Amino acid sequence: MLFMANKDIRLLDTRQSIELGEGVEIELRIAGPFPRALALLLDMLILGGVMILVGLLVSALALSSVMVAQGVFLIISFFMSWGYFTFFEAGKRGATVGKRVLGLRVIDRSGNNITKGQSFVRNILRLVDMLPGIPTTATGVLVGSFGLGFFCCLFTRKFQRIGDLVANTLVVYTDPELLMTGQEPKVDAAAPGVALTREEQVALAEYYNRAGMWSEARRIELSDHAYGITRQNGMAGMVKLLGMAKWIKERK
Amino acid sequence: MNEKDFKEKNNAEWLRYNAMMEVVEKGDVGNVDISQVPAQVRSRCLDLSLARYRVYGSRVCDLLNYQVTRGHHVMAKSESGMWEKVVHFFVAGFPQAMRREWRLLIVCWLFFLVPFFGIWWSYEHDPEWVHSLLGESERANMDAWYGKDSKGGMRDEFGSNFAMFGHYINNNIGIDLLIVAGGALAGVGSLFVVLSNGLQMGAAMAYVMHEGSPERLLSFVSGHAPYELLGMIVAGMAGMRIGMAMIKPGQLSRGRALMESGKQGLPLIMGACALTFLAAIIEGFWSAEDFPADLKYMVGYVGWFLLLVYFVFAGRGGGIREEGTRS
Repeated sequence: MLFMANKDIRLLDTRQSIELGEGVEIELRIAGPFPRALALLLDMLILGGVMILVGLLVSALALSSVMVAQGVFLIISFFMSWGYFTFFEAGKRGATVGKRVLGLRVIDRSGNNITKGQSFVRNILRLVDMLPGIPTTATGVLVGSFGLGFFCCLFTRKFQRIGDLVANTLVVYTDPELLMTGQEPKVDAAAPGVALTREEQVALAEYYNRAGMWSEARRIELSDHAYGITRQNGMAGMVKLLGMAKWIKERK
Repeated sequence: MNEKDFKEKNNAEWLRYNAMMEVVEKGDVGNVDISQVPAQVRSRCLDLSLARYRVYGSRVCDLLNYQVTRGHHVMAKSESGMWEKVVHFFVAGFPQAMRREWRLLIVCWLFFLVPFFGIWWSYEHDPEWVHSLLGESERANMDAWYGKDSKGGMRDEFGSNFAMFGHYINNNIGIDLLIVAGGALAGVGSLFVVLSNGLQMGAAMAYVMHEGSPERLLSFVSGHAPYELLGMIVAGMAGMRIGMAMIKPGQLSRGRALMESGKQGLPLIMGACALTFLAAIIEGFWSAEDFPADLKYMVGYVGWFLLLVYFVFAGRGGGIREEGTRS
């Protein structure tokens, strides 16, 4: 086998294939813990900011009745700390403000939008995912280290925290990966002497597409791995491999 | 056809598709011909399959993958009839879920009642347990609110009812949700919170019964107790549903069982919130009011009776579809 088996490639990838009713597979790019942590940080800042604002507004109201103001504040802080995530993630874009900024969204494992119920469940269980920490509403918003959620993400193949597992949800990137493009390599197309499998053809096409971004040494380093089909090492092997790739891309 | 020709042939169409999706996603459906959307999404599916089959490489494939995903999110949107669902939940879904989970109902009641009566009973033999559980300040509070010589209304200041209502919403529903979440620690979290609530309430009960004025405490709690206690128990059941999926997934894989437990537990979570919300209204605006004790006891009994009737009989009619039953 020239390149790695397909199954092994999947292990290295954060892409998740889902077959739709239309009979086509879509690939979702699952978001890891780090962009999610950044999104969370943003959401926490927003929540904190909003609660400070609410506090100020309510204390203006407190001039007429301290007790009523206190009640209003408690109710708003309840709905903010439990409802903010649920409301936005059940919405049209499936994302809180922080997630939207980071280009993330929450979806069902079947690729659909999540229901309100799923959003509710995954965000109640946030409380367990944020352990060890101080799961309390005393500060107006819930605070925690998210250690458990982080480890759960690392030990599941789809980066799911406990809330995701129970609600059957995933966090994915919304936009396609931005592939950098360099100069297109200038080589002459050359038919490969052997029949290539589909995976090998894909790999060659990818090699050709990305070759422009790499230094020559890197290109040669990679093409040396394809000695099995080029039968040449170094510069000559690279030119031959790019030629084959070009032939594959340009055939009618 | 090679990649370049394919792109050139379809580019105009893809741009039009993107523009259409932009409008549809905003919900501005008056400006586009919606009847075209499904056909358009399907033809992007076709493009994607072709591109993959012909090994066009990731740039084209990723672009088409994005277009198909986008179209799928627009088309697969459901969630209509929100109010219908709410009504169905209260008329049938919630009581059905309670009857389905009767075993967990018993377990959770036991984890509340045994410590509750246990600590109460212990007071006659050794009051130290109750005293240490309540602590100095809590006992002082109990003396102030429910002591033999405390008099007058419990909340004098204007608006304090509303403040307490806010507190009960924030605190009590928060505790319910904490109990639910605690279920994800293999059920231990849920049972622990239910049990410690049983101990705390039992201790308060024992202390007031022996040292204070029982009538003051009982007439205060009787009105909202049915909904608040049951709300907590139901939250415990929801937590245990999730916990049981970890401990005893049965014939399912653990992951699959967890996912199912989320679906099964959802009506219980919502029910717990609804019950506790009702309790907060009653506790905020009725329980502390100055009415004869007998009337307040009556309201309590009626509450328990109504809950019993509701959970035993609601949602049994032939015309009502069973939802979320295990297959």
